[in-house]
Amino acid sequence: MTPSTATMLARAAQGDDARAFALLADLSEALAESLDLRQTLTQALNRIADYMEAEAASLFLLDAATGLLECKVCVGPVDLTGLTLSMEQGVVGLAATENAVQIVADAQTDPRVHKRMDAETGFVTRSLLCAPLTTANGPIGVLELINRKSGAPFDATDAGILRLLAAPAALAINNARMARELIEQQRLKREFDLARRLQKSLLPKRRRAGFPLLAVNVPAHEISGDFYDYFDLPDGRIGFVIGDVSGKGLDAALLMTRAASLLRWAGKDGLAPSEWLRRANDELCQTTQDGRFVCALVGYYARASGQVRLAGAGFPPALLHADGDYAEFRSDGPPLGIVADMTFAETMVTLGSGTLYFFSDGVTDVRTGASRLGNAGVRSLIDRYATLPPEVRLRSMVSELRSLKLVDDTTILLLEEPRAHPPQVLLRRSFAAEPERMRNVRADLRHALDAAQVAPELRDRLVLAVDEACCNIIRHAYRDRAGDITLSLRRDGDVLEFELRDSAPSVDPCTVRPRELGECRSGGLGVAIIDQVMDEWLLQPRRGGSGNVLRMIKRCPQPQEDEA
Amino acid sequence: MNEVTSEEQGDFTVVRLSGEVDLSWSQQVRQAILDALEREAGVGVELSAVSYIDSSGIAALVEGFQNARQNGRRFALVAVSQAVMAVLELARLDRVFPIVADVEAARAV
Repeated sequence: MTPSTATMLARAAQGDDARAFALLADLSEALAESLDLRQTLTQALNRIADYMEAEAASLFLLDAATGLLECKVCVGPVDLTGLTLSMEQGVVGLAATENAVQIVADAQTDPRVHKRMDAETGFVTRSLLCAPLTTANGPIGVLELINRKSGAPFDATDAGILRLLAAPAALAINNARMARELIEQQRLKREFDLARRLQKSLLPKRRRAGFPLLAVNVPAHEISGDFYDYFDLPDGRIGFVIGDVSGKGLDAALLMTRAASLLRWAGKDGLAPSEWLRRANDELCQTTQDGRFVCALVGYYARASGQVRLAGAGFPPALLHADGDYAEFRSDGPPLGIVADMTFAETMVTLGSGTLYFFSDGVTDVRTGASRLGNAGVRSLIDRYATLPPEVRLRSMVSELRSLKLVDDTTILLLEEPRAHPPQVLLRRSFAAEPERMRNVRADLRHALDAAQVAPELRDRLVLAVDEACCNIIRHAYRDRAGDITLSLRRDGDVLEFELRDSAPSVDPCTVRPRELGECRSGGLGVAIIDQVMDEWLLQPRRGGSGNVLRMIKRCPQPQEDEA
Repeated sequence: MNEVTSEEQGDFTVVRLSGEVDLSWSQQVRQAILDALEREAGVGVELSAVSYIDSSGIAALVEGFQNARQNGRRFALVAVSQAVMAVLELARLDRVFPIVADVEAARAV
C-alpha cells in the first residue's frame, strides 16, 4: 500500500524531502499558468525525471474515442512519442484500468511488464513506476518512470511522491480539455446559427398584398427540414414548391438546402410539373445517400385561367376549400432521391374563389393530447379561421398549432386570389404611452368606428378593449417609462383588425392570459375584457429588436349599401 | 369634466363621479371611495354622469365593495349610467354589486 497523500505532504514538507514539496509547488504553479501545455508538460516531465533520478519518463493520455493510451510527451534515450497502448497492455495499461500506482521492482521477471518494447528498442527496462493521472471522472492518462539511475528499484516512497506530482498535471490537462470542449460547443452553436440563417435566406420573401401565395414555416427545432418557394415565370404563371426532407438535424438541413435550390432551378424552366419532379429526382438520386429522401409538391398557377397544375412526390394531398366544402387532390408519386427514372402523375385544380392549402405532414402530426390532429383536425382548424384575411388566417392557425405540441417541422402554403377590395386603413395614429393621452385616442377611435358604420354598442366595446390593451402596454410593457404606441385600424372584408405596436421590452405572450369573468377582484380584468370583446387576439414580439405587436380581430360584416 | 365629489348625508356618504373614469385618474377615485368608507357607515357611488369607465375604474369600485363588506359597511352603486352598465355586464359584475336607482334606496341597502 502506498502512503496517503496527506502523509506524503507532511513528510515532504519537513526534513530531507522538503525538495519534493518545493518541486510540487513549482510544478503546480507552472501547470496552472501554462499557455502552452505541451511545452510545460515536457519541462515538468524533465524535472520529475531529474528529481526521481529516473533514466526515462513518459506521459500517456487516454483517448476517450479509441480507448487507447498514447504517449504524448517523453524524456530519455528512446523517443516513444506517438506510441499507442491498449488499456490491457503492460504496467501503463494496468495503472489506468486500476486507477492505482504500479511499482515494478524487477521488470525482467515481473509478468505485468510488456516485453516487446525492449526487444524493439534495445533498451533494458529494470524497474518501473506508473501513476495514473486521476480526475473526478476517472483516469485520463498515466505518468511512467523507467529505471532509477542508481540501479536500485523504485519503492513505496517513490510511488507516493509520483502520485503527488501527477495531481497538478492531471488537473492542468483536464482544464485544457474542458476549455477545448467549450470552444467546440461554441463553434457548433455558431455553425447551427449560420445554418439556420442560411436556410431562412433560401425561403422567398413575402410578396406585397395582391400576390396569391402565402406561406409560413415553423421549425420544431433550431433548424428545419421543411422548405417552400414561389417565383414568377416569364409567361405570367407562378411556380411554387413545398417540400419536406426526411430526418432531422444538420445533415437533413443540408439536404434541404440542396433540394430547395434544385427544385427552384428545375422549375424555372417552366417544364410540366411531372417533368420538373422527374428531373429533380434523377439529380437527387445521383448524390443522396444514407437512405435520406425528399417529399415535395410542385405546381404552376395560371392566374388568367384560374387553373393550378401540380404534381406530388410523397407529399400529403393538397386541400381545396371552396364554398364551405373540402376536396383533396392526391398525386401519389414516390419521394425524391430513392429510385431514378420514376414518373410522376399530374393533377389539375380549378381554384376559382376557393383556397388551396398545402400542409407538410408536420401539421397533421401535431399532437392534441394523446392523438394526432389528423385530416379532420386540419379541416376544423381551417373552418375556425376561414373568414379571416389570408395573412391573419395563417397567423391564427400557426398560433393555435403552436399551442399544441409540434413534433415535426410544420409548413403551410396557401394559394388564393386576393379579394377584390383590398384592406382599407380606417385609422392610424401614434401617441405617447401615457394614461392622459387615452381620452383623445378613444375619441379618435370612436369617430373612425362611426365612420365605418359600426353599431354604437359594439363600437363602445371595441373602444374599451383597445383602451384596456393600451393601458396594459403603458403599465406592464413600458412599466410607466416613456415610449410610443402606434394604433392602426383596418377593415379587410368582414373583419376589423386592430393593431398596437410598441417599442417596450418584449413581453412573453404566455404570461398574458385572461382571468375568469364575474370574479370579484380588482386585478387582471383588462385582458379578460379584450378576450371577451375580440374574436381573436395575438401578441407577438416585434421582428428584429425590442417591441411588441398586439393584433386583435373582430368580425363585423360591412353594412349593405343601398342599391338605389 | 372628470370629477369626484363626496357629500356627507348623516351617517351616509355619496361619492359622485362624472366624466370618463380611466387610468389617468382612477387612483383618485379609488382613494375617494376608500376615504368615504373610513368616515361613514355607508357609501353610495353615484354614476349617472359617467360616460366611460375602464377596468381600472371598475377595479376601484370592486375594491371599495370588498372593503365595505369586510368592515360591515353598506355599499351600493347608484343611478348607474348606460355606459357603466354595459361594462359591468361585459365583466359579468352586474350581479355582484348592489345596484340601486337613487340615494334613498342606497341608504336602505
